[in-house]
Amino acid sequence: MSAYIPYFLNSLTLISILLLVSMGMAIIFGLMNVVNLAHGEFITIGAFTLVVVERVGGNFWLALIVAPVVGYIFGLILERVLIRRVYGNALHALLMTWGLSLILQQVIQLIFTANPQSIKGPFPGAISIFGENYPAYRLFLICFALAVFVVTVLVFKKTKFGLDLRASIQSPEMASVMGVNPAKINAHAFASGAALAALAGVLLAPLTAVTAYMGLNYLARSFFVVLIGGAGSISGVAAGSVLIGGLETFLSYQIPVTVAQAAVLILAIVILRFRPKGILPA
Amino acid sequence: MTQLSSLLTANKTASGLRFRPATLIAISVILIMSVVPLFSNAYDLTNYRDVLLFGLFALSLDIFWGRTGILSFGHATFFGLGAYGMAVSSIHFGIDPSYVSIVGLLVGISLAAVVAALVGYFILYGGVRGDHFTIVTLALTIVANHIAIGWSKVTGGDSGLIGIPPFSIFGFSFYDPMASYYLALIVLAICLFSAIWILNGRLGLILSAIRDDEVKAKTLGYDTKLILLITFVVSAMLASLAGALYVTNTGFVAPDMIALLLSTEVIIWVAVGGSGTLVGAVIGTAIVWWLQQKISSISVTAWPIAIGSFFIMLVLFFPRGPGAFVLEKIKAFQKSREGNK
Repeated sequence: MSAYIPYFLNSLTLISILLLVSMGMAIIFGLMNVVNLAHGEFITIGAFTLVVVERVGGNFWLALIVAPVVGYIFGLILERVLIRRVYGNALHALLMTWGLSLILQQVIQLIFTANPQSIKGPFPGAISIFGENYPAYRLFLICFALAVFVVTVLVFKKTKFGLDLRASIQSPEMASVMGVNPAKINAHAFASGAALAALAGVLLAPLTAVTAYMGLNYLARSFFVVLIGGAGSISGVAAGSVLIGGLETFLSYQIPVTVAQAAVLILAIVILRFRPKGILPA
Repeated sequence: MTQLSSLLTANKTASGLRFRPATLIAISVILIMSVVPLFSNAYDLTNYRDVLLFGLFALSLDIFWGRTGILSFGHATFFGLGAYGMAVSSIHFGIDPSYVSIVGLLVGISLAAVVAALVGYFILYGGVRGDHFTIVTLALTIVANHIAIGWSKVTGGDSGLIGIPPFSIFGFSFYDPMASYYLALIVLAICLFSAIWILNGRLGLILSAIRDDEVKAKTLGYDTKLILLITFVVSAMLASLAGALYVTNTGFVAPDMIALLLSTEVIIWVAVGGSGTLVGAVIGTAIVWWLQQKISSISVTAWPIAIGSFFIMLVLFFPRGPGAFVLEKIKAFQKSREGNK
């Protein structure tokens, strides 16, 4: 029985990672319908915020606060300058954000070189659970991801910002008649998505190699999480993460990891054939 | 099936023997390229030959993206499947060298056709269109790249495979740069003119109809999903043909032939030439290739930044391609001059 505990915790870890990286995507792509191919770079920016914070003498916890702020400001500027011009045109949004992604990758690599960055994560030790040792940081990640998810859902369901956002997505005209400024709401929603991605970047950094291209690994998966979960619903992200993360962990115990990732993608495509709107549509 | 075979007939009333401007440009491009070897050395010729094959690759994307309006980020997958199909079958199986190239070509093209048909069936029949299609094909390329790197027993992993023999058929080897140049040119010319002929006919009209309003085209009795799927598979097969021929020239295959950056570059080639113009894809490839030589000689990182900036400019300033942008400016200029008179 105890052999299943690390397996169970490993799948929980992957599910939490997917949940974290997909939440921002769920807002920008799922709710606002902007295909943002630079989303991976928002994650990278978060991870590199941690690198910078540690270099100037700060620690992980400081970066956990700074990174979302950096992501938010970055997203706000980006929305003002570029993204605002491509609302409603998926192809243009796609090409523009892809261009942005290529530029960001190169700029980050120019500043920090191509070598993986070294960072110090918190909690180096392991914790014993039911007689099995498991890295403490991963347990923290699982709890933190859950907390971020709950807070995000609450913000969307219970606050005025969430209500205004959902209203201005459903009908921008009606919302503006009711005194909501859709342009302002859009800007803040995009920025919140970027902030969530940057937060995910900090949390991911201790588990992966921090390079300029790290975000790319999560770009396609987070799109699939949102598509499979059901674009337009925040709770769909949880369903998508559980399905994709659970499957990938299960398969990578049976077959090589690359084949497992390919198999999950194929499965996702098959699911899209039969449920084009995802498993938990809005 | 009768409906589909009738699609192949040219649109006689519209075209007749009168050539469209695009066809004339295509003929002149091929003619110019056929005399180029007279004026260039062997080294330049090998570069031009690669440009021709990349032009064929760009043409394959233009057939799908330009005519259906659905952007595929996965075309490097098909180029790479052609390349790896050729490489793996000519290195691993010890096939008789006299017909190994034909076997490699068939393996590469069939691999691409099967993958395109499967992926295309599930997503096109699932009603996935537009940006979602692009995302699925983007993921396809990422996975294909992971497999090319991870499955090192067969694909050679990060370092790829070397020792692919030059293309040969019935004992004649296209080893000489001149011979391989003309092979590439002939293949490109055949594909380009067939594409122009077919897409100027009824199939082209139906694809335009699907792009503008798929529901309406379906209501008129066309099996739009099947037509899109066939177009996608044919486009993928052309891409793999380009990939398979390309590796017989370079002699090696590497994971960057099945990577996202290549998928991105081919989009640029088509966009520069103006998507949907077919011959524009070939011209665009040549222009971008020339620019890439210039920019990469300044700095290696400058090239991805240049591509990125181009994408942003494409959206902000010339959404219909730089060619159309210049033409519009000239027209507007002429109009304003006429207005002043």
